[in-house]
Amino acid sequence: MSAHQQKILDEIQALMTDLFDEYDGKVGMTTTAEDIEQWDSLANVQLMVRLEQRFKIKFTAAEITSLAHVGELVTLIGGKLPA
Amino acid sequence: MIPNDFPKLQSLATRQSAVFPSHEKYLRKRFEATTPEGFAFAEKLAHTVEMLVGDGMDTHLADYRWLCEMVVDEEIAFRRTGEYRLSTFEQAEREVYADRVFMTRYMNGLLMSQLWWRNHTEVMGYYQSIYLGKLKSGFRHLEIGPGHGLFLGLAADAPGCATATGWDVSPASIAMTQHALGVLKPKKTVHLELVNMFSAPSGMFDSIVFSEVLEHLEKPAEALDAIMRLLAKDGLAFINAPVNSPAPDHLALFRAPEEIVDLVRTAGFEIVDTLFAPTSGTTLESARKRAMAISTAVIARKTT
Repeated sequence: MSAHQQKILDEIQALMTDLFDEYDGKVGMTTTAEDIEQWDSLANVQLMVRLEQRFKIKFTAAEITSLAHVGELVTLIGGKLPA
Repeated sequence: MIPNDFPKLQSLATRQSAVFPSHEKYLRKRFEATTPEGFAFAEKLAHTVEMLVGDGMDTHLADYRWLCEMVVDEEIAFRRTGEYRLSTFEQAEREVYADRVFMTRYMNGLLMSQLWWRNHTEVMGYYQSIYLGKLKSGFRHLEIGPGHGLFLGLAADAPGCATATGWDVSPASIAMTQHALGVLKPKKTVHLELVNMFSAPSGMFDSIVFSEVLEHLEKPAEALDAIMRLLAKDGLAFINAPVNSPAPDHLALFRAPEEIVDLVRTAGFEIVDTLFAPTSGTTLESARKRAMAISTAVIARKTT
């Protein structure tokens, strides 16, 4: 993982720790919604909108609802940020 | 997920998951902390929903999926702006109420949500066990906006009910409630009428239910004033509305349950009891912290 990706992952981890306050496991690249009880479709919207605000980017509705795991999210955000 | 003792509920949940596989985790969470009494109530409700739906269950299960996906779209807009998307009745009329196909799917989905959204089921249980239990024998009952008819049917079946009436401003909604009551067959005959609550005579009822209507109004305080006027002295009102719950026709945004309670108190009611029911799979504390949906039911008395 590049330093850039690691930085994005760190930000995602921080937001997820705050939002999914009943989850005390580790958030990594392979973490999925199945791993975190609180990560349902509505909580996912909250997470994605907070990420939009944090990184000053915009997701499409399809991007918000179709992510498979955190690693995909890291890649998606990385692709929307200036190189 | 659902014990074998509750076969109708179990069967419906299995069918719902088949139609909406990504919802299976949600349904598991929704029932994970359910008590035996809660399962028994939901089983009875599943039976009632099956009766109402008849041979249209597949359509209802698909419409529930459609509703949930639409709510996610509304949630995206809500979280980005901090506001509900619509603010006027005219907008809701144009986008939702005037579209018959949309309305049918919406109402079908909402009927299923009585089972699948824990807060909806919890409010219905509270209404039956607490609110109806507080009404004095011989009560004259009114529900404004009775919709799916489940609340009105329960009131008309209550032993102390003298008269039961439902009002709506939409002929299509009245027809839907009529169909439901025809299936439920409560003990008391229910009078369904096209009436505007703001122009009806005063002091006619001992019990008024206003469930999931407040959030559809531009000026909810005016509706509470009207309910106060329609109630007889010592009459009770059951007011139920959600906080932080974006939907295609929700106009009035309440950000905390206390906002709704305060609105009822400001209209001149004495607050008798409240229920704050958070959305499925979360605690009240967590729902408050994350600004998630909380159904807020208020039992209020007119004391003057």
